[in-house]
Amino acid sequence: MTDSYTKAVNSGFTKTLATKLGLPRPAVLRRFRAGDPLTVGPVLVVSDEASTGDADALARVLLGWGLDVRRQPTDDTRWGAVLLVLTEAERPTDVSAAVLAVGSVLRRLATNGRVVTVSRAAAEGDAPALAAVRNGVDGFLRSLAKELRAGATGNGIVLTDDAAVDAPSVLSTLRFFLSARSAYVDGQLLPVGPADADLPADWDRPLAGQVAVVTGAARGIGAAIAKTLARDGATVVCVDVPAAGEGLARTANAVGGTALQLDVTSDDAGRRILEHARTRHGGLDVVVHNAGILRDKLLANMKPAQWDAVIAVNLEAQLRINDQLLGDGSGDDGVDGLRIVSLASTSGIAGNKGQTNYGFSKAGVIGHTRATAPLAASRGGTANAVAPGFIETEMTSSIPFATREVARRLNSLQQGGQPVDVAEAIAFLASPAAAGVNGQVLRVCGQNLVGR
Amino acid sequence: MATRKPSDGSPRGSSRTSSRAASPSAPAGVRDAVIVGGNRIPFSRAGKKYADASNQEMFTAALEGLVARFGLQGERIGEVVGGAVLKHSRDFNLIRESVLGSSLSPQTPAFDLQQACATGLEAAITVANKIRLGQIESGIAGGTDTISDAPVAVSEGLRRALLDASHAKTLQARLKAFAKVRPADLKPLSPATDEPRTGLSMGEHQAITTARWGISRSAQDEVALASHQHLAAAWDAGFFDDLVTPFRGLTRDDNLRADTSLEKLASLKPVFGRGLAEPAEPTMTAGNSTPLTDGASTVLLASADWAAERDLPVLARLVDAETAAVDFVHGHDGLLMAPVHAVPRLLARTGLDLGDFDFYEIHEAFASTVLTTLAAWEDADYCKAELGLDTPLGSIDRDRLNVNGSSLAAGHPFAATGGRILATAAKLVAAKAAETGKPARALISVCAAGGLGATAVVESV
Amino acid sequence: MTAAAPATSAGEPLRVETLPTLPGLGALYARGAAASGRIAAGRAMPGLPVIGQGRAAEGDGEARPLTLPDVAHRVTGVPTVDLAHHLHDYQRLLHEPVTDVLPAGYLHVLAFPLATAVMVRGDFPLPLLGMVHLANAVELRGPVVVGDVLEVRAWAENLRPHKRGVQVDLVAEVRRQAEPGGAPVWRGVSTYLAKGFHLPWTGEPDLPAAATGGDGDERAPAGTWTPPLPTGRWALGPGTGRAYGAVSGDRNPIHLSALSAKAFGFPRAIAHGMYTAARALADVGHARGDAYRWTVEFASPVLLPGTIDVAVTPDGDGTGFAYVGWNGRRHRQHFRGAVTPL
Repeated sequence: MTDSYTKAVNSGFTKTLATKLGLPRPAVLRRFRAGDPLTVGPVLVVSDEASTGDADALARVLLGWGLDVRRQPTDDTRWGAVLLVLTEAERPTDVSAAVLAVGSVLRRLATNGRVVTVSRAAAEGDAPALAAVRNGVDGFLRSLAKELRAGATGNGIVLTDDAAVDAPSVLSTLRFFLSARSAYVDGQLLPVGPADADLPADWDRPLAGQVAVVTGAARGIGAAIAKTLARDGATVVCVDVPAAGEGLARTANAVGGTALQLDVTSDDAGRRILEHARTRHGGLDVVVHNAGILRDKLLANMKPAQWDAVIAVNLEAQLRINDQLLGDGSGDDGVDGLRIVSLASTSGIAGNKGQTNYGFSKAGVIGHTRATAPLAASRGGTANAVAPGFIETEMTSSIPFATREVARRLNSLQQGGQPVDVAEAIAFLASPAAAGVNGQVLRVCGQNLVGR
Repeated sequence: MATRKPSDGSPRGSSRTSSRAASPSAPAGVRDAVIVGGNRIPFSRAGKKYADASNQEMFTAALEGLVARFGLQGERIGEVVGGAVLKHSRDFNLIRESVLGSSLSPQTPAFDLQQACATGLEAAITVANKIRLGQIESGIAGGTDTISDAPVAVSEGLRRALLDASHAKTLQARLKAFAKVRPADLKPLSPATDEPRTGLSMGEHQAITTARWGISRSAQDEVALASHQHLAAAWDAGFFDDLVTPFRGLTRDDNLRADTSLEKLASLKPVFGRGLAEPAEPTMTAGNSTPLTDGASTVLLASADWAAERDLPVLARLVDAETAAVDFVHGHDGLLMAPVHAVPRLLARTGLDLGDFDFYEIHEAFASTVLTTLAAWEDADYCKAELGLDTPLGSIDRDRLNVNGSSLAAGHPFAATGGRILATAAKLVAAKAAETGKPARALISVCAAGGLGATAVVESV
Repeated sequence: MTAAAPATSAGEPLRVETLPTLPGLGALYARGAAASGRIAAGRAMPGLPVIGQGRAAEGDGEARPLTLPDVAHRVTGVPTVDLAHHLHDYQRLLHEPVTDVLPAGYLHVLAFPLATAVMVRGDFPLPLLGMVHLANAVELRGPVVVGDVLEVRAWAENLRPHKRGVQVDLVAEVRRQAEPGGAPVWRGVSTYLAKGFHLPWTGEPDLPAAATGGDGDERAPAGTWTPPLPTGRWALGPGTGRAYGAVSGDRNPIHLSALSAKAFGFPRAIAHGMYTAARALADVGHARGDAYRWTVEFASPVLLPGTIDVAVTPDGDGTGFAYVGWNGRRHRQHFRGAVTPL
């Protein structure tokens, strides 16, 4: 599970050697630790002229977060982050100066630095020039992200439905992108709408008081999710099949949660999860559909059991549990304000040979997430998905070496992600302040070169 | 001697279930001890999955599963009580050491106790009594045993020499101590499960009891078959999903033979009672006797308030318990017949009749243990002479007996069996009460080496 | 400290020879072996004078009656204060509770050398080696504890015919020195068979009941006897004879090893009869009380190593315990006896 290459090219003699040979040198990504500064250096806030007001508003917020905020580029600064605010630009030419100003400081962007754009989504009825500049940000950011080096990432916030730049969900997304929590999120544009939400009293514990259920929590990414949610203040109900109970108990005890041995494919799984959360913890706020299985086979060789098992666990179980948690909308049998986060996969976006069943299930997750979003929203909740790319787990460690090496380098950060990177994205989406993010698929892939 | 409540003249037994006795209540000044739930690891035949697992590792694993199930991390439990029948000397504080290795608060006190195969149930009785008296608010009872990692002792000669040598002050004295060791002294002594006073194994003892009561081979095989079938069905139905946490890759009791049959059981050769004059064809086989097994179990008990404050479920309450012992040394009674004596005393105190139970959990040390127990309760002469009853204690509805299987199928890691049975019984009565809306009750009976037996009444809340 | 004048059970007076201390068994065996050789030689060569007034019957000369020495050996002032360690070894070996009270079997061990000394006397007419222990009967009238000072007497009496030879009782008595002249607190009668000797027929041979199936080393036909349900099983290791020999001092070669036992016609070493009887006595436990009568009759030897089934059960009338030991596979009796509280 360790990426010994990344370790080697970043330390000692092998580092010197790798530099001389011109080998790719993936950076050691900075990851969240409570108490660490939010960014690695000062934050430059740049905007087009029309967006100055929004930029000022955001700059004040950043100052409130204790950051060293600058409005003008200087030559002697190692920038921790650059915030590019383009919310009010109306034509493509409006943004030129601001974009080039960003370009002028990129060489002095610190290791693990951040570039974050804030723009508005093109919407129906937009003037063509307005739509052009708004959509242009998309291509700009994705390209810029690929130019960044040394663990720096570029991500964008796309405001929808006239959301204000200082809306709670925008701020919480901004903070996520600026922080080390988004270490392996790169080249992503996340639509954020206006939503009533409170910012957390303590940004280190955004899930304080929340009750979260994590399926497939016995090991790997599921265990990391449980630990991250617990670290962020949630009470975690750890769910896995009875056969995985030993690891499940380990996770539950590590996070101070409870273990619920349950097969998510059972008919009443949702009801039992809800009953457990309500009777034992007084309610349910977050469900993370992490449980998933692989039964890789070329379709020509696929046995019915292999197809069916993957669909049952990865897709049908989520559908049935969501139905039971959200109820039929007629009475009090559902959960209000529920945050649903499902595990999709880049395989469900770009496809993968030998994974027709898995790809179907994960694309299906993306599909049902979009469809579930309005249902959840009608009860004050959200439904989102996270699509991990190459994550260093027990599962990926079993991939043959050469294939694994190629797979883990095929992204802008030139390395695989850690389970905690997926967990951070989930914790962000599960947090009350992320109420304005709904029906979205957030990729945690280091800007994988496959798919969108 | 036995003082049963005045009879109303109707026969005892299952025919009395229609007029259910009122729920026994706790004596004044004593509160209820409730069973929150249980956790065990799957039981494994000796020398298999847990071949290198120690008692402490197994009990810690069982504890960790319980802690995880009920969110007890960092909780200071009132007391953790349990034990092992076969124990290393290094494990003198087995339960406390397990607590220290668990996620419970290190401020949780613990102690070891041991009552042979009744260890687990006796631990639960002890914890329940402390809760009932208000000495503790919560407690965990359990037990663990391993045959695979059993202590092996050195011979008396070698032991004496080692002790002498360790006390010796000079090299010469030390050498002198070792010089006394004879080659035969170097042979290790395996732990014996034979009764120390008789030299007979438990199986041989039960073979004698079986012969005395004339229990047939086919009746024993039927009990064994039912045990396997019931346990397999319970596993398949998910009954153990919240009672068992896997360990070392084992997810189910590996002694379970879901596909066994009367034919297969009938084909097994007798292993006990082969030296007896009668019956000519011995009846006890490896199929209708429990195998040597490794495993551990725990049960969480508490005051009702403690459970409510933590939003913990309550399955049942441990109403009362009775232990007994029989004089087996000179053959007066069978080694495993003590529960036969305990139950009528328990019933008398709780004001219940043998028929007043929805479930009977009779530990299947051997199939014939169950059958001799039932036969004795039905036998007028035995009940009169040995139990002091004017009429037989009665018979039970066999459909309520070990409904989710018992030790013949699950295996029997001595000290762990009580916890397995108690948690099973508590969950059964809770489910039955939820289904019928009426209180449900279970009778637990565990026989033990040394002519001991522990019994208990569990009732839904 | 004058004790009552010694006499046999039949009232025949005995001379008293007081020994300074209890003799050591090892030396006695050496003497016994020599005497046995002399007696055997006497039997083989009738012309040779034989000490004592009896003589072997197998010579072709005229049969002279065998007679026992009319003497009782006595040792007074036998201390027990230093015996605790040895006593506890005995108690552990025999599964007795470890206390300072001397079990009846231990008193047998204590008195045995003195009885043996009688049997190795020059005027004792039978050879020590090769004698078969047929039966033993002991009465313990009260507790003897470590610290008591004892007087021990031993003599031979009641020489009588047996279908395979002659049998003789070796009687030993133990008194507390603090109660001189009183009844013995312990009295043991060991009945031995000397094969190949004859006495003039004096009526019915006095055969122990249990010996009808076999008189010590004779094989009883298997399967003719139905054993009761056992109450215990003894797994007797190969060292059982050596262990009891070490604690009792009775290092008769037939108990020590297969090799030495073969020299006396046994396929393997055999357990001491008194070991099996004392195990049964221990098995009765607390119920025997402080005073009891303890008997045993030996039917067939217990080969070592070996496992035997035993039944130690209360008498029908509840006054005591009967016990029997047998081979569980062949259903052949080894010994039987009783323990009756007095």
